[in-house]
Amino acid sequence: MSKPFIFKAEFWVPKSTGIKVLSLKDFIETLKWIDKFSIFYHMYVNIFNYHNLPTFYNNSFSYWLYKNNYLALAEKISIVDPIEYFDLEELRISLIKILEENYDKHLEGNIIEPFFFITVDREIIEYKNPADNLEEFIKKFKKSSINSVFYHLVTSRIENKTLINDYSSWLLSIGEAKKAELINKLDIYSMNLYEIKKEITKILECKE
Amino acid sequence: MIKKYIPFVGEESINELFILAEKVKNLRILHVNSTYKGGGVAEILSRIVPLMRELEIKADWKVIKGDEKFFNFTKKLHNLLHLSFSIPIESEEIVHYLKIIYENMNKINTDNYDVIFIHDPQPIGLVIKKQPGQKWIWRCHIDTSAPNPQAWDFLENFINAYDACIFHMPEFVYRGIKIPTYIVPPSIDPLHPKNVQLSKEETKNILAKFGIDPEKPVITQVSRFDRLKDPFGVISAYKLVKKKYDSQLILVGSFASDDPEGENVYKELLNLTADEKDIFILNLPPDSHKEINAFQRGSTVVVQKSIKEGFGLVVSEAMWKEKPVVGSNIGGIKRQIVHGITGYLVNSIEGTAMRIKQLLANKEFIKTMGLYGKERVRNRFLIIRHLRDYLILIHKILTNPTKMTSA
Repeated sequence: MSKPFIFKAEFWVPKSTGIKVLSLKDFIETLKWIDKFSIFYHMYVNIFNYHNLPTFYNNSFSYWLYKNNYLALAEKISIVDPIEYFDLEELRISLIKILEENYDKHLEGNIIEPFFFITVDREIIEYKNPADNLEEFIKKFKKSSINSVFYHLVTSRIENKTLINDYSSWLLSIGEAKKAELINKLDIYSMNLYEIKKEITKILECKE
Repeated sequence: MIKKYIPFVGEESINELFILAEKVKNLRILHVNSTYKGGGVAEILSRIVPLMRELEIKADWKVIKGDEKFFNFTKKLHNLLHLSFSIPIESEEIVHYLKIIYENMNKINTDNYDVIFIHDPQPIGLVIKKQPGQKWIWRCHIDTSAPNPQAWDFLENFINAYDACIFHMPEFVYRGIKIPTYIVPPSIDPLHPKNVQLSKEETKNILAKFGIDPEKPVITQVSRFDRLKDPFGVISAYKLVKKKYDSQLILVGSFASDDPEGENVYKELLNLTADEKDIFILNLPPDSHKEINAFQRGSTVVVQKSIKEGFGLVVSEAMWKEKPVVGSNIGGIKRQIVHGITGYLVNSIEGTAMRIKQLLANKEFIKTMGLYGKERVRNRFLIIRHLRDYLILIHKILTNPTKMTSA
């Protein structure tokens, strides 16, 4: 017998770290020690904040690099898909590696805008009445918000230190391997969360 | 009332708000500012306080009282923080400020509350009255990114006695803050008469009442008659646009009877445009919400060409009405407009003109940017998000140990 699925949702209030940097070098150095939830904010929460807009970049590091004319670096950072990471420290290492490998002190130019490192206070809530079976799961999933979708697809993986999202993990436990696999393959980094919710609903309701 | 927001944010978001509110239910929360009427702070509190009560939070709202001398000083302080003038603060002014704060401490009972929100610099000194176990939060609604240092030092004397503070943007957080510092942007209320849906017919009728042709493109800036809103720059940009596009410009705002500078700006604008039949300089009473709503809805493009801006929520108001906004690349304007997606960020009169022309030439851009603008506001700048941020913040401050934010 599998455990019931508890729907949760996540919210954030941004917090100032009091740290702003005025050069690419300082940006890289700060990234090495800044609170990991600052990386969480700039790489993950920004996906949420801009998911419904076709922005140039969906993380604020890339956008800052782009605005300051580090165009190639902006692109190299933008391709880092944070959904492929479940450990913020691993993600930090990858970002620094890219930045350091491509850093050239001759690149340092006039910074047009400083970068403000922000962190977050997170709050996770639980919905009432967990789902005990697929039918209930579908019903409750449809009534859940995009904050809930984001929590289960993205940040629950960081909490549980796994590459499998919450929905897929639970679906596997009730023998729905195909649905679990299809959901785990969705491109959360690039898609609108409302569209993702529709896609998941389709996958869940598919009778195959 | 809270359920009336379901059409804008969805039933699931409102249900989540109730779940979040369980964590702070029955808390006694007091908001203190300097006025019940006029200005964005009073406007937002008049909505947030009843919404908090509906979530079973015992929320109250009180205002400090002061004489002319007190408010002259706080106005000066506001200007020094916002605009960094180099006028010294006199010790006599500080003594009078503290005297009035002391009088208010006796009039405003803060002891019966768990959490006290103090809005803006005027009542900041009330924190002297903080009791053990209470949490005091200072909510700053102005741009303090480059303040006059003496004015900031005056504030700093009080800020670090609070348990947390809140600014609109990280850029506004100045030096010396040692308490948790949250970033909570302001918001607009979709149920406010300024923002409620108007029919096309109502919109057209209001425009026509002012002699504006609803069938011809309309470019609008809504703002006080203030040089910092650069109405003269907007007219220059419009004249560049007008060479190719038969269009109309509306500069609509108001000035208070005690604002001689506003009246001067208004008169200068009238003189400058006396022979321009397609430029409308409209000074309306401050409660002309329906008219402002209609001007925004009847616009083809909305402009916000401010030189300095606290946050500039008028940008979100226009975006909520599916209008592309051409705005200055400054302050809160650049936080609201996503360049090239919901409008354009510009740095000059020429840039403003070029982007307006680009929009007038491409109806599809107008439509797409308008839709994205509304989505941006729905997700980031509506009052429900603002209320939710406050609930989380209150809960966090009550449950987390206070720690320094700066390294």
